[in-house]
Amino acid sequence: MAEAPEEKTTATKATETVKKIRGLVKGMSMLAHEARDRGQPVVYCFMGNMCDEIVRAMDMVPVWTENWAGLCAAVHRAEPFLLKAQAEGFSDKLCTYATCGLGFDIMRHELGEVPPDAPDGGMERPDAMLAIGLSMCDARHKWYQAVQRYMDVPVHTMGILVPPYDADLKEVESYYVDYMVEELKGMVEFLERVTGRKMDWDELSRLIDLSDETNRVWYEAYQLRKAVPAPMPSQDAMSAMVPGWYRLGTQEALDFYRQLYDEIKYRVDNKMGAIPNEKYRLLWGMGIPPWFALKLFNFFENWGAVFPIEVIYRPFDPVEIPAGVTHPLERLAWRTYKRGTYRYDKARNHTGDPDVELLIELIDDYKIDAVVYHRALSCRTVHTGRLHELAVLKQYRNLPSLILESDMVDVSSFSEEDIKNKIETFIEIVDAHKRGKKKNPRLSAS
Amino acid sequence: MAKAHVEQGSLSAAEQVYQDRSQRARQLRDKGKKIIGYFCAYPPVEMLTAANLVPYRIMGNPREAVVRADEYLESIVCSFVRSCFDVALQGGYDFLDGFVASHACDNIGKIYNIWQYNFKPPFSYFVNVPNTTSPASMKFFRAELGTFQRHLEKFTGSQITEQRLVEAIKLHNENRALMREIYALRKPDPPLLSAVEMNKILVASQSIPVEESKQLLRDVIQDLKKRHDGPAQKSARLMVVGSEIDDSPLFRLIEDSEANVVIDDACIGTRVYWHDVETEGDPLDNLVTRYLDKVMCPRTARERTGSREEDLDTKFGHILGLAREFGVNGVILYILRYCDNFGFDVPDMRDYLEKAGLPVLFIEDEYLISGARLKTRIEAFIEMIS
Repeated sequence: MAEAPEEKTTATKATETVKKIRGLVKGMSMLAHEARDRGQPVVYCFMGNMCDEIVRAMDMVPVWTENWAGLCAAVHRAEPFLLKAQAEGFSDKLCTYATCGLGFDIMRHELGEVPPDAPDGGMERPDAMLAIGLSMCDARHKWYQAVQRYMDVPVHTMGILVPPYDADLKEVESYYVDYMVEELKGMVEFLERVTGRKMDWDELSRLIDLSDETNRVWYEAYQLRKAVPAPMPSQDAMSAMVPGWYRLGTQEALDFYRQLYDEIKYRVDNKMGAIPNEKYRLLWGMGIPPWFALKLFNFFENWGAVFPIEVIYRPFDPVEIPAGVTHPLERLAWRTYKRGTYRYDKARNHTGDPDVELLIELIDDYKIDAVVYHRALSCRTVHTGRLHELAVLKQYRNLPSLILESDMVDVSSFSEEDIKNKIETFIEIVDAHKRGKKKNPRLSAS
Repeated sequence: MAKAHVEQGSLSAAEQVYQDRSQRARQLRDKGKKIIGYFCAYPPVEMLTAANLVPYRIMGNPREAVVRADEYLESIVCSFVRSCFDVALQGGYDFLDGFVASHACDNIGKIYNIWQYNFKPPFSYFVNVPNTTSPASMKFFRAELGTFQRHLEKFTGSQITEQRLVEAIKLHNENRALMREIYALRKPDPPLLSAVEMNKILVASQSIPVEESKQLLRDVIQDLKKRHDGPAQKSARLMVVGSEIDDSPLFRLIEDSEANVVIDDACIGTRVYWHDVETEGDPLDNLVTRYLDKVMCPRTARERTGSREEDLDTKFGHILGLAREFGVNGVILYILRYCDNFGFDVPDMRDYLEKAGLPVLFIEDEYLISGARLKTRIEAFIEMIS
């Protein structure tokens, strides 16, 4: 193995397009701050809760509270908010996205104004909050209930349920989809009631078309990342996800991914790799990164390891909704259901686990040598079950794996020295495994 | 000992079930009965009984550190769930013919696949429980229970008729009523039984068939009513609020101090026994109403209809109601670490109860009780409120 070259201090981006993201995030905050002047209601929202197009079609401005907490982490300003929430009695073991956001809302409540130094001017005070049910995350319905302690703002909780992995989809499909449609109607009714706005159904249909196209282009762009050398690494994807998760249903998001597609294609056509001497291709498993220390990607790159693809924050797989479904809420419901159950049938006849199916696809398609997870200690939803997933994967693809631990927001959980040591040891294992595989191809399981 | 008279009777029987709680299930299995393990208070046990299956509550071991489960479950998983899995890995649930989990919380939701994969029970089902009480959620849950019913029928090869389901509902209602009667015996000062004894009865009741539980509870009531050697009067009457506080040394820890625990709001306690299922009308509809609407757990969100104060009443009024009904003068809020559903409610719940004049001791800890440290805090709290 070669000696590690000199270390960089920030996460190095390969693509120019993703460098626009910080400005885009600032723009999102600005839109919210200026919303009141434009007479637009502001809504606290969670990513992936099906509300993107609905909120925009009603001419409201979403504030993505998880994203804002991630921003606080990235600019290393989360700590005062976390400590504030803890002082109020919210455990430091709770989701730190939530406790960061709560800490901010508590401070604003106490100060009567936005706390000084809140990144991007803080979160705009909402007129309504859209919480979401258990299938996504416990914290995502409890957080906004807790916010009501400091802001008497109406909250609506919507249930979105996906069937368990062993469900017979033919048996349950109709009532799962019907439920989502009804719950979406409930969300629209709630927003109409508390803001006095009316849904523009034609606009909603248009925005769904736009977001479908956005996801399609995004998906196609990421298909290009299968190339060797890797044209765009995962640290770029951690930024590139912003339009797809927080600006869905906007022309800006579609334009972003079109540009990203063109840039990745150019890099592939010209064999431009993310790092100069690509030796190991790693998969970033399902894990929220430490937003305050994305430089950990550099630690890998220093050893010639690149992440061509990641499980988290990917665009959705292309799904087809049944012909004849035209009502926008039904389209949203079917889309969510189909995306949520995309690999169920395939898993049933193979590993039994749709998450493992995805891992196998990515490992094969992106020519992966090893798998890396980051376990964010305050998040049960994303990080529980990964040991199991790896155990199942081992039976189908025998690759080295590494689990790093810290958090997505709380910097006190991060030990740079420890992580560097683990990475160094891991790379040695990956290297040995790769050399062994070359000598004996049967080492790569079927 | 003065207690000997009672302990030779029904309490002793409860103690016996408690001490080796799988013994009866194993016996029944040897005789051809099928035993179904279930997690938490949300799977409708009435449906298992109606399917001629024996529901068996899955619990952990709060006296033993988790070791084996570390290989399977992340350290951030709720320690109760980890403990249950650890017990299973030791063969503690090797007699189960089936396993039912529900979407009560992230932790229990996630354990379903892992349990199913590792233990491969002949029957398994995940009851997907919505977390709101909206009409759409009620309708969904009704459909989901219909699917659950079909899967049970397929497994047993026998139809669950409406009549059988209603009979099972009545049986469980009677069982609940008897348990509430036992709870009521804790209202006097001093209570007629300790929380340690109550805990054993609760564990025993959820480890045997409902018909046998009914008989056990009847006997316990009869004996307790004649009892003259119950717990001594103490300076504090406490309520314990939390999630999976089953079989917990916590009660012993408290009652070894100058306090009696007289009521709970916990997952194997009042949350299971306080509400019956209606017997008139469609039984599945009635189960939906009972499990989704009547059971008060922070995992279920209720649409706010009034002021903030009214909303807090909706969320926590039942705790205050129980505290008043049982003459409590302090509450121990015992929250398991990594529990988002309870954790986010802590400041509101604490303030709500304190505002009503009830001092609150908030403890966040693992399922494995850390005795010495807790004892000091509990004693200080009791001293403060006495």
